[in-house]
Amino acid sequence: MVARALKRVSYTLLAATGVGLVLVALFLLSRTAQNSEDFDRLYNVILAINIAGVVVLFVFLVGNLWRLLREYRTHVPGAKLKARIVGMFVGLAVLPLLVVFYFSIQFINRGIDTWFNVEVQAGLENALKLSRAALEMQMRQHLYSTQQISQRLSDVSERQLIFELSMMRRESGASEITIYGGNNRILATSSDSSSAGLPRPLAEEVLLQMQQNRPYVSLDPEDFEIHTAVLFTYRGRAEPAGVLQAHFPVTERLGRMANSVDSSYREYQQLVYLRDPLKSTFTLTLTVVLMLSLLSAIYGAFVLSRRLVAPIQDLVAGTRAVAEGDFDTRLPNPTRDEIGFLISSFNDMTQRLATARREASLSQALVEAERTNLEVILARLSTGVLALESDLRIRTANQASGAILGVDLENRAGDYLTDVATGQPLLEQFVDVAQVHLNAGETEWREQIVLRGEVGRRVLTCACTTLPGDESHSAGYVIVFDDITALLQAQRDAAWGEVARRLAHEIKNPLTPIQLSAERMRRKYLGSMSGDDAQILDRATHTIVQQVEAMKEMVNAFSDYARAPDIELGRFDMDKLVHEVVDLYRAQESGIEIVLTSDPTMPMIEADIGRMRQILHNLIRNATEALDNTDNGRIDVHVSAAEFDGVDVVQIKVEDNGPGFTEGSLSQVFDPYVTTKPKGTGLGLAIVKKLVEEHVGSIRAYNHTEGGAVISIRLPINEAAREATITKSPRRADKRREKA
Amino acid sequence: MSLTLINKPGKPWSLSFGLAMFACLLLGTSIAQDELDRPGYFEVRSASTRLVDGVHSLDARLQLVLSSEALEALSSGVPLTIELQLEVIRVRRFVWDDADAELAVRHELEYRPLSQRYIVRNLNSGDQDSFATLYSALNNLGRVQGLPVIDDALLDADKTYRIRFRALLNTQQYPAPLRLLFFWRDQWQLKSEWFEWLLER
Repeated sequence: MVARALKRVSYTLLAATGVGLVLVALFLLSRTAQNSEDFDRLYNVILAINIAGVVVLFVFLVGNLWRLLREYRTHVPGAKLKARIVGMFVGLAVLPLLVVFYFSIQFINRGIDTWFNVEVQAGLENALKLSRAALEMQMRQHLYSTQQISQRLSDVSERQLIFELSMMRRESGASEITIYGGNNRILATSSDSSSAGLPRPLAEEVLLQMQQNRPYVSLDPEDFEIHTAVLFTYRGRAEPAGVLQAHFPVTERLGRMANSVDSSYREYQQLVYLRDPLKSTFTLTLTVVLMLSLLSAIYGAFVLSRRLVAPIQDLVAGTRAVAEGDFDTRLPNPTRDEIGFLISSFNDMTQRLATARREASLSQALVEAERTNLEVILARLSTGVLALESDLRIRTANQASGAILGVDLENRAGDYLTDVATGQPLLEQFVDVAQVHLNAGETEWREQIVLRGEVGRRVLTCACTTLPGDESHSAGYVIVFDDITALLQAQRDAAWGEVARRLAHEIKNPLTPIQLSAERMRRKYLGSMSGDDAQILDRATHTIVQQVEAMKEMVNAFSDYARAPDIELGRFDMDKLVHEVVDLYRAQESGIEIVLTSDPTMPMIEADIGRMRQILHNLIRNATEALDNTDNGRIDVHVSAAEFDGVDVVQIKVEDNGPGFTEGSLSQVFDPYVTTKPKGTGLGLAIVKKLVEEHVGSIRAYNHTEGGAVISIRLPINEAAREATITKSPRRADKRREKA
Repeated sequence: MSLTLINKPGKPWSLSFGLAMFACLLLGTSIAQDELDRPGYFEVRSASTRLVDGVHSLDARLQLVLSSEALEALSSGVPLTIELQLEVIRVRRFVWDDADAELAVRHELEYRPLSQRYIVRNLNSGDQDSFATLYSALNNLGRVQGLPVIDDALLDADKTYRIRFRALLNTQQYPAPLRLLFFWRDQWQLKSEWFEWLLER
């Protein structure tokens, strides 16, 4: 910005200096035209200054023109307007200047020509000829006089020569008569001026004439003295004795007039000669002035157009910036005219737009922050939240809703819920229940839903309410639901634990006295009794003791279920543990084939070894009991390490070829006291499930298509895997916390 | 009229016209003076110095032939100034030679129409002679006899000097516009080559 201002100031200074110089030069030109001495002294300087001004202006103009052309070609805003203004100014300036130039040149040339009149020229030439004729006549007379003097002196002796010479000089009116001998030696001389020195030697041209034996006569161009010379010969001698030279003055009046004619003619001839250079000089001066004026006008047109167009260019640039969203654009406002008012209004507008946008951005940021907070809350919420449009299209859903209903609802925004539910049994049941209410026009409802799936039933509590609509969204619904299966399970487990503990406490206490009493009765009275009584007593006490034992076992089983000692994690070899347990059952020779498939390279597992052993015992015992009435019973135990959903797990699968689970019991197979076997207590699989969940594992029960039950367990292999599992399924953490 | 010019700002025909006229004026009025074709020349035929009474005097012969334009000016009453330039230069071995003395003798040649004679005036001394013909006037100008150049006492006895001499037509006395025009005219640039010789001691 500063550099631009400096540049502008320097340009202005330069232009002002140039204009100043040109004005000074023009002023001096006008001054010097009136004063020939000044003109002569300053002409070249002034001309140089003006020509330099022309050159500088021309360079500036070429630069400006080039820039304008470039802007025009690249469609710079304002270039067309600038070109139009420049063209208009050039048009307005060029024509009058050229007309003035043409007429000035014509006027000057004709003016100068009028100085030289043909009649004046002829008059002067005639005057010159007349003067020349008059002088020539005198010259002839004086030559004749000189010849006469020479003849008269030829009879005079050398001694009388000077005397006679002086006398004849006075008679002839000569100012000086000299007789030269050989080698320019002066033989005699006479002059009317005593102060005059010795006569000058004979000129070459005189000698040349004398050598040719011809008289000499000439007119001195300065004082119009007539010089004559003839050969001087003494009478009777053949060879000339020398040269007689005489100077005759012309009359003062004639001399003055001759001088006047001579000088006038010369001056006129000089003027005639100088006429063309004078015209050229005036034409040159006028051309320089014209060029200066013309170039200045064109340059002024450029400057003016630039100044006029600059605010408009700024406005265009500012408008573009605003169109591109830059509301911080502020245009410089150097003028107070209408364009200045326009720029001021533009600045006000952009300022208001900027303020409005800032406020809008602030509000949007607040809304975004709120929305982000809500999304975070919803994402971390274990409760499923499902927002629907009025036509049951999914508006939004959190992660928990997908986890509960077994479908990824979070990424299905915009899809119809009914479409998403297709092939998804849990969601289908959920949609059916919701549609019943919504079709009935109930927008505010609350219900507990039981969903039946492959892994058991799910109990959900649902609450639906209406969402208020706005400009971008019509009214819709939001359904909030929670999977309370685990909660109910936990409540049930707690209740059963309490029952078991009380039963164990209440039942176990009288059992020992009953057993002791029965044994005491047996010892005391069996020996003293005989016959049938003894047999009855024996059988009765035996039955009592046996049933008491059975009851004790049952009570112990209850105790085991209710008791929940702290889990003790340790690293052990799962393969080895499985072999130990399976070998124990193989040793019982129950007629059931137990086939173990295990991976000996399986990594060490981090778990509670006692609970693991209990799980394996329960599963194999459960399978064994299920095969009681089955011929060729077979149990397949598969143990392997695998990666499931990015988590390292140990997978234990126990299959039998027994009758399998009944269809009704499949969904409740892990509930306590649910059994299909005549001998089972109904706690085996419930305990297994409890132990598996304590290890953040998962358990599933299903039937083989060809018959037989399958219990499949996945256990995280170590604590890191358990944490990963919890992270992926926050509901497990909730469940874990609930159990804790 | 103005609309036409506004739509064609890129055609500065007036500028070209002015420039062309300007160039023509600077180059002179050669077309009008084609018939004047005698170029003229100045030449130093011979030049020498001799020591006379401790003063070096110049004897020289020059051939001065005026150009047609100079003759026309002379016959129109414009006096011509013919300048004889002489430089006494000290010869130096390792640096530039140095001019110790410079002498310029200017003669004015003028034609008087009434007497039809040519006047040769020595502007340095004021002496003048008149001649019936231009030939004799130029012949007189071209004969330099015993022109005192420099006192030998002013010269360093141990140094070597060379002298150079030339003649030229001087236009400095004319008005500036004429000088400007004459500057571009070859026929007014009459100048002999430098004639050089070593000063004999």
